[in-house]
Amino acid sequence: MTLAHKTPLTPLDDAFTPEGGKQLPAPLKSLRDIRSKAITGMALPNRRTENWKYSSRYLKLDPELAPQTQGTGDADYRSVEGVYRLVIRNGVVDLDSSNLPSASGVDIRRFVDLDDVAAQSVAKKLDTTLDHGTTQLAALNTARLEDGVLIRLSADTSVDKPVYIQYVTDAGASGSNYPRVMVEAGQGSKMTLVEEYISNGDQPVLVDSVSELLLDDSANITYIRLCMDPANVRHIGATGVKVGANAKLDSHCIGFGGDLRRHDLQVRLEGQGGYARLNGIALTQDRQHYDNHTAIDHVVPNCDSDENYRCLAADRSHAIFNGRIHIHPDAQQSHADMNNKNLLLSTNAEIDTKPELEIYADDVTCAHGATVGQLDEGSLFYLTSRGIDRDTAATMLSMAFVHELVGQVPLEDIREAVNTRLTDFIEASFRRAAE
Amino acid sequence: MAESNKPEDFVKHEYEAGFVTDIESDTFEPGLNEDVIKRLSQIKGEPEWMLEWRLEAYRQFQEMTEPNWQKVNFEPVDLQSISYYSAPKKDSDKPQSLDEVDPELLRTYEKLGIPLHEQKALAGVAGAGTPAESEAESTGGGGAYSNVAVDAVFDSVSVVTTFKEKLAEAGVIFCSISEALQEHPELVKQYLGSVVPRGDNYFASLNSAVFSDGSFVYVPKGVKCPMELSTYFRINAENTGQFERTLIIADEGASVSYLEGCTAPQRDENQLHAAVVELVALDDAEIKYSTVQNWYPGDENGNGGIFNFVTKRGMARGKNSKISWTQVETGSAVTWKYPSCVLKGDNSVGEFYSVALTNNYQQADTGTKMIHLGKNTRSTIIAKGISAGHSDQSYRGLVKFQPTAEGARNFTQCDSLLIGDKCGAHTFPYIENKNSSATVEHEATTSKVSDEQMLFCRQRGIDPEQAVSMIVNGFCKEVFKELPMEFAVEAGKLLEVSLEGSVG
Repeated sequence: MTLAHKTPLTPLDDAFTPEGGKQLPAPLKSLRDIRSKAITGMALPNRRTENWKYSSRYLKLDPELAPQTQGTGDADYRSVEGVYRLVIRNGVVDLDSSNLPSASGVDIRRFVDLDDVAAQSVAKKLDTTLDHGTTQLAALNTARLEDGVLIRLSADTSVDKPVYIQYVTDAGASGSNYPRVMVEAGQGSKMTLVEEYISNGDQPVLVDSVSELLLDDSANITYIRLCMDPANVRHIGATGVKVGANAKLDSHCIGFGGDLRRHDLQVRLEGQGGYARLNGIALTQDRQHYDNHTAIDHVVPNCDSDENYRCLAADRSHAIFNGRIHIHPDAQQSHADMNNKNLLLSTNAEIDTKPELEIYADDVTCAHGATVGQLDEGSLFYLTSRGIDRDTAATMLSMAFVHELVGQVPLEDIREAVNTRLTDFIEASFRRAAE
Repeated sequence: MAESNKPEDFVKHEYEAGFVTDIESDTFEPGLNEDVIKRLSQIKGEPEWMLEWRLEAYRQFQEMTEPNWQKVNFEPVDLQSISYYSAPKKDSDKPQSLDEVDPELLRTYEKLGIPLHEQKALAGVAGAGTPAESEAESTGGGGAYSNVAVDAVFDSVSVVTTFKEKLAEAGVIFCSISEALQEHPELVKQYLGSVVPRGDNYFASLNSAVFSDGSFVYVPKGVKCPMELSTYFRINAENTGQFERTLIIADEGASVSYLEGCTAPQRDENQLHAAVVELVALDDAEIKYSTVQNWYPGDENGNGGIFNFVTKRGMARGKNSKISWTQVETGSAVTWKYPSCVLKGDNSVGEFYSVALTNNYQQADTGTKMIHLGKNTRSTIIAKGISAGHSDQSYRGLVKFQPTAEGARNFTQCDSLLIGDKCGAHTFPYIENKNSSATVEHEATTSKVSDEQMLFCRQRGIDPEQAVSMIVNGFCKEVFKELPMEFAVEAGKLLEVSLEGSVG
């Protein structure tokens, strides 16, 4: 397992000159050094690496990706109403462009601004939500840690508007960046966190992002991840979540394919009464790729999880889903449900799915279902016979396929925006196929 | 009987086939090298090409490393410490009839309940058309096993094959693979390794190099095999591995149903069983392959038992052909097998029905592969796993649609039943679809023998042990109904035996 490469990436020391001259606090720096050492000389995941089996062929870390993304000053800040905005530009936290909540109980800070005590506490918690055996590239993120954002909610704080993180890559920028976010949600706190990746460039860019969410008892976090930027941006993202007793995670991950798109979502239910809902939609077209890997660990008894992922693959694209539910010994009375449905929209597309169950307790109910199919000819005929052209009919049916999940996205504005973008994306792919 | 009412307390494994037969045997010194292979080939009087084939397999094997991706833990097998050939010693070369078979050996089969001797019909070994055989015909399969031809493999050699003559009348060739190499070398040469190539995987390569015996079946064009065929495998000698090779060919329009069973003595050390089974179905042919696997699973502390590393694959080569695997796996300390179907012919069908039961410290990583190549190919997978004690069980399956598999379909269902809270049940289904007109559905559930079910049975005066067995049998019903009738009964009983007795 690992990360060396035929053409080695630029050594860490050369790659980073921290913005504004600020240095990471010592505890975080030493964590970075440890990771950095750990990945030195490691090989990139290949076809034989189980969790990269279907995706390793897209994992081409060309030397041009090695340098850190440099800003060109030409950024596309999409304005979003009614939210607190936090901008991470080219991997670097940009507080000036952000609009942060001022209420007490919400503390948002750059890693570089942390004092040693706070940094020590963050360093202890970083990397604890992800299994580095299966998220090798999240380790690379820590190894290249330069800055990050800590969002801390005090007990019983309820953030009135969603916190919207925009990961912006400047037009014309290239290279790689490693954004890092950590959320500590105190007891009984509540927040909606949205992450959106935005870019309008056409240069190859690698975004290797890691977000970690620590939910204390009874915390309630809604997590929305929108990875819908252009294909040239290669994404390797990992989201790790620890869910405490009676806490709740409501996750919605929506993504469009690209040259390389990978999202690992790992949720550990660590307190009794915890609940996680994982919804996901992935769309691919052209020669795009999208790989969703999820893992839900039921560590203690009496937790529930529901998972529902849908993928649509058009043209010559390749969509992958791998879901794992792991019921630990003694995690009795666990209820886990995983559902993965896939639509192949073209003969040349490929969908691979692997819904796994790993169960070590007997008094549990676990079920998973997976299907891969195509649009129903009968339904298409029904619509076309009523004067709807075939592309429109196919788009309607495809949207119907994801409708249930889109409908569950909790914020209306986002839901509508997602709906429009999905429709455009699907329509475009049918139109192209028809040409 | 304990007071307890928990299902796991009624689960205990008593292995009934664990005796050792004390007969003289010729056994090779432990060790694996080219000389051993040459000697093996020489003893069997094999043609030159066969030896070359084995040696090439051995060369490929030496390049390989033991796979470690399976979800099982075991001490690696020291291949140099086992013997690659062991045969019951006989004065003559091979018994021509049961009369010539060592009575000790016959008693072995009798103990096992293998109907070699008790069935009068089996006198037919000595010659066709004996009164006894006609009697068997007249019963028309009414009595259990009365219409089954058996090939018995004891350690490394096939001891006896029954009903050969009767089968020959229908044109069916049913014999040991060593015999087939002598009498039908052209068929063996044509098909051996055509489904599982020599370099397929570590244990298949090992098997290709050192396989000792196994069954060979050829059903000619248009022939429906008049009776069930069956092979019975037994490991007896100490420090030996069993490497059998089975090759079944159903020519155009032919059909055959085949069953294998296996047992081994109770020993403290682990013994290796690495078999290869190849099935070839040509146009419109049908092969049904059933396994009742009852190798020694080790004692209740996980000592001893057979390592069962088997490669089984069927090639539905012709149009409209069909291959059906049914397996009941209750034995072995570690099982690692994936009976597969390559659906090459258009409209061909693949089926996999499996019940796997693990108890104590048994581990099983089993499942199937359905590779869809032809148009309108269909496959069905029904896998039922039952884990009890400290055992660990995984279903691992692959369903793959190549771009050529227009209109193909798969349905998969895998259910697990857990008995007790110390066991594990896992599912790793791989689904790879490269054809938009192909449809695949996969479902899996996990459940336990519920208190409600137990209460329901107890209220009706059914004792707990029987209740567990009933519930488990009900859970497996879909698979048992695929087994040939006689064996379905045996399989049901086997599950009962495996679950019998109370611990607490």
